[in-house]
Amino acid sequence: MECKLAVSMMHDYLDDDLPEQQQRDLKEHLLSCPECRAQFKELEQTDMLLFSLMHQSPVASDELVGRIMGALPPSKKERRVITWIRRHPALTAASVFLLVMLMSSVTFLKQDGQLVVKGSDLDQVVIQGNTVIVPSGKRVSGDLTVENGKTQVYGEVNGNVTVIDGSLYQASTAHISGQVKSIDQALSWIWYKVTNMFSDVAYR
Amino acid sequence: MENLEGRLTKLALKGDQRAFAELVELYKDKIFHLGYRMLNNRHEAEDIVQETFLRVYRNLDRYDDNQKFSTWIYRIATNLCIDRLRKRRPTYSLDAELGDQEGTDGYSLIPSDNVTPESELILSETQRTIYEAIDELPVKYRSVMILRYLQDLSLQEISEVLNMPVTTIKTRVHRGREFLRKKLGPRL
Repeated sequence: MECKLAVSMMHDYLDDDLPEQQQRDLKEHLLSCPECRAQFKELEQTDMLLFSLMHQSPVASDELVGRIMGALPPSKKERRVITWIRRHPALTAASVFLLVMLMSSVTFLKQDGQLVVKGSDLDQVVIQGNTVIVPSGKRVSGDLTVENGKTQVYGEVNGNVTVIDGSLYQASTAHISGQVKSIDQALSWIWYKVTNMFSDVAYR
Repeated sequence: MENLEGRLTKLALKGDQRAFAELVELYKDKIFHLGYRMLNNRHEAEDIVQETFLRVYRNLDRYDDNQKFSTWIYRIATNLCIDRLRKRRPTYSLDAELGDQEGTDGYSLIPSDNVTPESELILSETQRTIYEAIDELPVKYRSVMILRYLQDLSLQEISEVLNMPVTTIKTRVHRGREFLRKKLGPRL
């Protein structure tokens, strides 16, 4: 065997990459060639020394983890929201406006506990304390809206009846030509407010 | 079964910071060791660790489950080290002042300056000689030898990390080993 080939086989051997038959050939050559034997010994020692370095490794400073975690950019989800806002400034402004308006409606709803009666023809209506009565034989032309009170209808209403945070009693003699709406939750109240606002805007 | 790193990356991708901290814990010392031996400087090595994890974090969604996490992170770290070496090479002189800090010159980058008295005791003369020899290796051999010996990667794994054919890696390991033998030979 040539020494040049032997050297290349030595490296393969150290890489754990030399077939058994060739290992035997290499051994044979090493026994007969003192120079290659010396080189093999040096290579083997270099190899072992290098591997020994692995166990003696320097350690990063303790605050490094904290520093890394502190330097991370905000997560992708957060950034997605931010980019959405950047791309749709008008929509963002509109939704913020809507949100503020709804919030004020909610607080308004909670604060207000007084009876409110709205309608175009309130002369026909009798109010007793907390109760709004449409007496039998009477006829209310137009819509009737009652907030925070009981409503009792014995007569006729030529329009919609809307009851907010209250109860509605319809007698058998009652006649309501329009829709009857009962609103007693914040959410539907908000919905009512919003749709009213838009129809107000539309009709004005 | 899914491996630990795969699970942690998925959690981290969903925004779990603790999962990411776990990944940092698992790999920080390995990456630090790699950077320290590649660049021969504690500060720069810590910079590399930080930069590596920042890149990992930014590209978590691009991490492919079929690939080993270690391969991926070693690739990022090795590339960062090589980039840094390339940048500093033209002005690399031991006597030149480094400019960014007063009074620091190339000598302060030599590892023996960073060695604490404590580790000085543990560090044998031979080991120091080896480190010096590794530092004299050209970069392309140095990265291969560090991955092979200090990180205990197989030739196949190194070829994946460096994106080079196994035969190239093999040749480099052989040449690197031969180079070190010649440097160390007289001392062995």
